[in-house]
Amino acid sequence: MGVNTKAIKRRIKSVSSTKKITKAMELVAASKMRKAVDTALKTRTYAKLAWDILVDLSKTQKSEIPLLKMRRVKKVLLILITSNRGLCGSFNSNIIKKTAIQMQNPQNLSRQRVAGKDLVTEGKLEVDVLGLGRKGADFAKKMGYNLIASFTDMSDTPGLADVLPICKMAIDGYTNKTYDKVVVAYTDFKSAIAQTPKLRQVLPISEHDLEKMVEKFADHDLKTGKAIIESEKINDYLFEPSRDQVLEIILPRLVESQILQSALESAASEHSSRMMAMRSASDAAVEMIDELNLNFNKARQAAITQEIAEIAGGAAALN
Amino acid sequence: MSKINFKIVTPEKVIYENDQIEQVTAPTTTGEITILPNHTPLVTILNPGELIFKQGEETHNFAVAGGFLEMKENNQLVILADNAEHVDQIDIDRAQQAREKAVAQMSEIKNREDVDYARMQAIIDRESNRIRLGNKYRKLPKSE
Repeated sequence: MGVNTKAIKRRIKSVSSTKKITKAMELVAASKMRKAVDTALKTRTYAKLAWDILVDLSKTQKSEIPLLKMRRVKKVLLILITSNRGLCGSFNSNIIKKTAIQMQNPQNLSRQRVAGKDLVTEGKLEVDVLGLGRKGADFAKKMGYNLIASFTDMSDTPGLADVLPICKMAIDGYTNKTYDKVVVAYTDFKSAIAQTPKLRQVLPISEHDLEKMVEKFADHDLKTGKAIIESEKINDYLFEPSRDQVLEIILPRLVESQILQSALESAASEHSSRMMAMRSASDAAVEMIDELNLNFNKARQAAITQEIAEIAGGAAALN
Repeated sequence: MSKINFKIVTPEKVIYENDQIEQVTAPTTTGEITILPNHTPLVTILNPGELIFKQGEETHNFAVAGGFLEMKENNQLVILADNAEHVDQIDIDRAQQAREKAVAQMSEIKNREDVDYARMQAIIDRESNRIRLGNKYRKLPKSE
């Protein structure tokens, strides 16, 4: 038994303890993911119902609520949702890459998407970044973006209380015309193995983006499409105290629920990509241990064979 | 007799769902209203207060922290509440603490912009409502 086998044995030990850690992290991430997905699904009902009301309201007439008004875009607030911790595969780098591409392409970022015509801005576009999660904030700092705030104390499944300060910043910034557009960069949770980084416009509230969001509910709740068509018939809604006041209450809440939804989707994506990363790490560790075991056995056998040969050689020399 | 399909939803989850409700009393900004089946479509804003709904002989009481109410056609009634809880689940001590904290904070920020002020006031109203309803229904079992 030479030095060689000892070194291999030590490596096997270290790889298997790493495997234990990655396995544990995988299980933890799996349960956190389940919780986040669950909460994300629960929030959809509210967003959908609030949106339904808004659709019903917009049937009657267009109104002059500040949160619905579109302006030429000079300054954008970008809410970048990432994770606080690493070891989650390409989760953070994907969303950061997507954001970086958008930052280099101000034309696209500044466009107001309206059916038929697009409002395009000339001149320079300013972007402020609000980091939600440490990784994104670090990235914004490194790239020299104008980072106005970073929230790094989010829980694993963010609740409304966690995102309220962010919503307030966004809504206030929009109403007092500091920002002409608010965008959320988040990771959309499609399934445990597929997540896509996305940018979604939150303010001004655009039918285009909201409809896309509501479409997602369609798989979850088949009635959506029908409900919108049905509601077109009724125009005799009563509003108390008045239509505009109702809108003023609903719109900020719609924004809040949208931001909450994005945060939850990101949380679910983070945990699932961590789960996948840890699973492949565990698998790689198992493979490595197998190989090391084989090497160890070979080395051990070689040592034994050599010893026997030496003894046999020694005995032959004595005769 | 037709029944109301009733739902309480908060941004975080669906709190309550029942399609056999016969009447709903809600605290709106223009006063308390009671909705019976076949009500005309209505959208209204809710104040913090007590939400009462009846299913047969059974009465349910919820503390609601504001939000809005939508009565649709076909007796679909949805409460989109900022927060809602059954009166039995109210933690009075916690509500009391939260209220005191909010009052203290409010006196500090009095000179700042009025948006903060409105939010703090909303919190105080919400917690006061919790305390009031919590106390109201806590006494019931004792007096029996």
